[in-house]
Amino acid sequence: MITLLTGISSSAAALTAERIRMEVISQNIANANTTRGLDGKPYQRQHVVFETALRQQQGGAGSFGSPQAVQVSRIESDNRPPRLIPDPSNPGAMQAVPDVNIHEEMADYITASRSFEANLAVVKNARAMAMQTLTIGK
Amino acid sequence: MINALFNQPNYLATKKMLDATVLRQEAITSNIANLETPNYKRLDVAPSFSSDLRQAIASKNPTQIENLRPHLIVDSAAFSPKRDGNTVQLEDEMLHLNQNFVEHSLETQLVSASLSRLRMAITGRSG
Repeated sequence: MITLLTGISSSAAALTAERIRMEVISQNIANANTTRGLDGKPYQRQHVVFETALRQQQGGAGSFGSPQAVQVSRIESDNRPPRLIPDPSNPGAMQAVPDVNIHEEMADYITASRSFEANLAVVKNARAMAMQTLTIGK
Repeated sequence: MINALFNQPNYLATKKMLDATVLRQEAITSNIANLETPNYKRLDVAPSFSSDLRQAIASKNPTQIENLRPHLIVDSAAFSPKRDGNTVQLEDEMLHLNQNFVEHSLETQLVSASLSRLRMAITGRSG
């Protein structure tokens, strides 16, 4: 297949990976006050782990120094212990709530969305370059 | 052979530069995609390419220019301020991306101009 848009598969993979990351962050924020999960315990914060995925390069220069895509290798559970806060409905008792820090999640979310935008800019650039290539000889 | 029409050193050199530009675009795309991958090292076109090209152009030997192959290497000079061993800096990559775009634009125009001069020489008409 002719790859008119240079490196589009890397960008597409990165957009997917960043979107998954944003979904995981949304899930953390949504469950910031979930005290009973499916396992009956307070919700545990999740985070994604990125890894490179080797992409076939035309003319194969080998694995060293060839362009790479990115993928989410796994979604890990953070093992921070839940925070204990006083239970308002039961004076003297403590209640375990997830240790999700909204500020941290928001900062992470902004980083993810900026990375997403950077990849979109690359796609736009690749498209403009392809249009230029098509004008050769005109 | 018809090949003789297309093997002026300048035309061939522009074609090679275009190849290198497209390859650099691949590297930049890969770098930006892996902006936050731990231990990823940024890629770039091997710096030896520009000196090899200059040498090949000076030799005025079409086959020598034709045999040049730009390739990507890990940029060992890149500095890593991050703790995860990643050497990509978003601002630098965006600058390279735009620079590369302008280079691509220049090179496509050079190729087009070269072809249109050839057409003019054949037909005696411009455009």
